[in-house]
Amino acid sequence: MGTVATADVKKPSFVRDWLLTVDHKKIGIMYGVVCLLFFFLGGAAALVIRTELLTPGMPDVVPQADMFNQMFTMHGSIMIFLFMIPMLTAAFGNYLVPIMIGAHDMAFPRMNNLAFWLFVLGGFVFLSSLYFGMPDIGWTAYPPYSIESAGLGLDIWVLGVHILGLSSILGAINIIVTVFNLRAPGMTFNRLPLYVWSSLITAFIQLFGTPALAGAITTLLFDRHFGTHFYDASAGGDPMLYQHLFWFYSHPAVYIMVLPAMGIVSEIIPVFARKPIFGYHAIAYSSIAIGFLGFLVWAHHMFVAGMPLATGIPFMVTSMIIAVPSAIKIFNWLATLWRGSNWFTTPMLFVTVGFIGMFTIGGLGGIFLGTVPVDIHMHDTYFVVAHFHYVLFGGSMMAVLGGLFYWLPKMTGRMYSEKLGKTVFWMYFVGTNLTFFPMHYIGMMGMPRRVFQYDPANGMQIANQIASFGSYLVGAAAIMMVVTIIVSLRSGAKAPANPWGAQTLEWTVSSPPPEHNFIEMPYVTAPPYEFGEAEEQYTPKKSFGA
Amino acid sequence: MDFSWLFPPAINDMAKQVDSLFWFIASIAVFIFVLVEMLLFIFLVRYRRKRPDKQGIALHGNTKMEIIWTLIPALILVAIGVFGSQMTYAIQTPPKDVYTINVTGYKWRWDFDYPEGFKTTNKLVIPEDKSVLFKITSGDIVHSFWIPSMRLKQDAVPGRQTQFWTGPSEKGEYPIVCAEYCGTMHSMMLAKLNVVSTEEFDKFVQSGGKAGGSAADGAGGEGQTLAEQKGCLSCHATDQNKLVGPGWGGMFGKDVKLSDGSTVKYDEKYIIESIIDPAAKTPEGYSPMPPQQVTEEEAKAIAEYIKTLK
Ligand code: HEM
Ligand SMILES: [Cu+2]
Repeated sequence: MGTVATADVKKPSFVRDWLLTVDHKKIGIMYGVVCLLFFFLGGAAALVIRTELLTPGMPDVVPQADMFNQMFTMHGSIMIFLFMIPMLTAAFGNYLVPIMIGAHDMAFPRMNNLAFWLFVLGGFVFLSSLYFGMPDIGWTAYPPYSIESAGLGLDIWVLGVHILGLSSILGAINIIVTVFNLRAPGMTFNRLPLYVWSSLITAFIQLFGTPALAGAITTLLFDRHFGTHFYDASAGGDPMLYQHLFWFYSHPAVYIMVLPAMGIVSEIIPVFARKPIFGYHAIAYSSIAIGFLGFLVWAHHMFVAGMPLATGIPFMVTSMIIAVPSAIKIFNWLATLWRGSNWFTTPMLFVTVGFIGMFTIGGLGGIFLGTVPVDIHMHDTYFVVAHFHYVLFGGSMMAVLGGLFYWLPKMTGRMYSEKLGKTVFWMYFVGTNLTFFPMHYIGMMGMPRRVFQYDPANGMQIANQIASFGSYLVGAAAIMMVVTIIVSLRSGAKAPANPWGAQTLEWTVSSPPPEHNFIEMPYVTAPPYEFGEAEEQYTPKKSFGA
Repeated sequence: MDFSWLFPPAINDMAKQVDSLFWFIASIAVFIFVLVEMLLFIFLVRYRRKRPDKQGIALHGNTKMEIIWTLIPALILVAIGVFGSQMTYAIQTPPKDVYTINVTGYKWRWDFDYPEGFKTTNKLVIPEDKSVLFKITSGDIVHSFWIPSMRLKQDAVPGRQTQFWTGPSEKGEYPIVCAEYCGTMHSMMLAKLNVVSTEEFDKFVQSGGKAGGSAADGAGGEGQTLAEQKGCLSCHATDQNKLVGPGWGGMFGKDVKLSDGSTVKYDEKYIIESIIDPAAKTPEGYSPMPPQQVTEEEAKAIAEYIKTLK
């Protein structure tokens, strides 16, 4: 009978095809979807916070003060541990790293699947605190308050962070081994796409940093339940020890959230400028510098935490030095745009006007905070909130969205609507600036972070209201982004293999790529950004500058 | 030159110096910001793609340029670091004979111990013409002692003593804020700094810390001042909002349900008893308030104040 032959090639079930998959691309997409769900949860908490701050007085939208404290704790923890870190390292890393270096999959595909499910489990544990009692300790969970904070909240939080940390270490090992061992013939380190460079360095940061965090929060748990006194001053412990351990992980962690973003920017700009990236080596090696120096600046979060002030000076110096590699990258990207042929697609807008434009503000804000006498005033105020949101939202988030639109045709096989995409961009851009720029002023005038009540004088309320309305616009932009993706999935034009004319390997295969990526092993003969015409053929009207 | 717009008033020399360091960095930052945004804008617009297949120029790099734009930011940052370090030492080192006040943070109030042996809560009075050294610690968890008008802040850490000092300051009343998140009522851990003339300060010391407050006028005025200074208002709202403790507004004369199921009239007697012996009668839904350092006399004044609240 004719049906016999087709019986054994029947379509695999959804569970087998997706949930148990070992295909790095599917795992990457699953990470992305779950991360975006968390992004919406964390965003909802942010909108509650901003709504509360529309008025200076008592809690009025949340029923009580503790609930406000739980909101910013959940917001911070979700955004960092459940959105930004896994989105940049695991979602993008999984999808892109193997295919960009010409590998068929990750080095340890099964471990990859395990890491994903650990991530889901960790997220689930985190969210179970909605039921068991949310923690109210801030994402930093400083003792002694975190030790005496009542209820199960902190215990669940610690458990969640542990599971997520394990997942993150497994993911990092996978990326490191993959990049070292599975590169296609001809893919030397000097031909590695810059996103892969940044992922590799990020993976090393995760590997070395995460254990410090694990140590800090485990001892916290011991103090709570097993009668130890690591952080109990009355028994000879020291609360500052926790802060040292915590920031030894968490400052490098901010680079975990920004290096891959810089990698994405470095991928997108040369393609749409049709120029080789300016200073490939400088960009790659400055990431190494950041990865290394990132471990030497942690105490700039602790200038006023109880150390003698002068102890901060070496950390002021390292904080200044680490600003240099970031500046190098900005100038290199600008130089790549110079005499390019710049095509304004949605991803290009996100990484140029968005990332370069706003990360610059965040980085310059960091210089104020890195300078001890100025930080004494600014520390733990809304100025800091403005600074790191310019870096994380104006920077990393812009790159995430740029990358999402850039690789969407590859992942789904469908083009998105440029009109909708650009609308999303402008909503994000305006909303983000409205939300975070006034916060510099709010902090300088004397509003500490993590408060539901503030001084109504000095235009403080007006500035807070501008920030709140800005955040609603960002919320609308987030919804608009989902609409754009859904519209693209349902009615987008079929995507060709290489819609942007890019040169990295993922664009040499069909959209979406087949399982195992390459039918034939690719052989790499050139660096990834060989665009452009030689000077003679190039016909500028007038040369600019030099 | 007054550098203080964008900041609360700067009330002493150190604050003014910090402001000028801020503006020094700000002018560099604005310059770099304008430079980057201008180049970005110009390059994007001037070199936008005109034909779909148009290529850019095949330019891979330029070592000389790259060295220049690495060195210039590095030198600028070194300059900032040098100024920053000098000022850091100045802020750290107090002069020889300073007037020392011990500061202790608690959930959620500030206690100030004066060398003459008395104590105030949430009310810090200092003379305008003296250098003052604050020795800061905490009685429970980490807080952060911040006087925005002095641009000074130090964490209050249990088991540790931190400090900052300030030179002569301008007269006036200024806020003191807790900048380290410390739980439920962190937002309301506020105190007042009162910089007064020398004579006024002497009076304040002679009265053992009673004078020199900003006594409110009208009925219950004394009670209001006490409620502010004793830290009551960091847990009790003056309206009907529920904070850590029940709100005071509109309660007087009503019946209160207690945690043991009985009811009691919310009158002067009940209020005073609740302050002096908090564990005796706890309203339903609350845990007993920690013991407060309030005399019966003072409790009476506070009850007068609660009477006036709607
Ligand atoms: C490049 C990526 C960067 C990211 C992702 C980032 C992120 C953050 C975050 C999340 C915080 C908040 C920590 C808290 O909860 O208090 C923070 C604070 C801080 N950042 Fe950055 N930052 C970056 C770059 C820089 C640079 C280049 C500098 C120095 C020039 C810097 C200096 C500081 C300082 C001193 C603080 C502590 C401020 C305070 O708490 O008073 N940061 N940053
Ligand atoms: Cu406090």
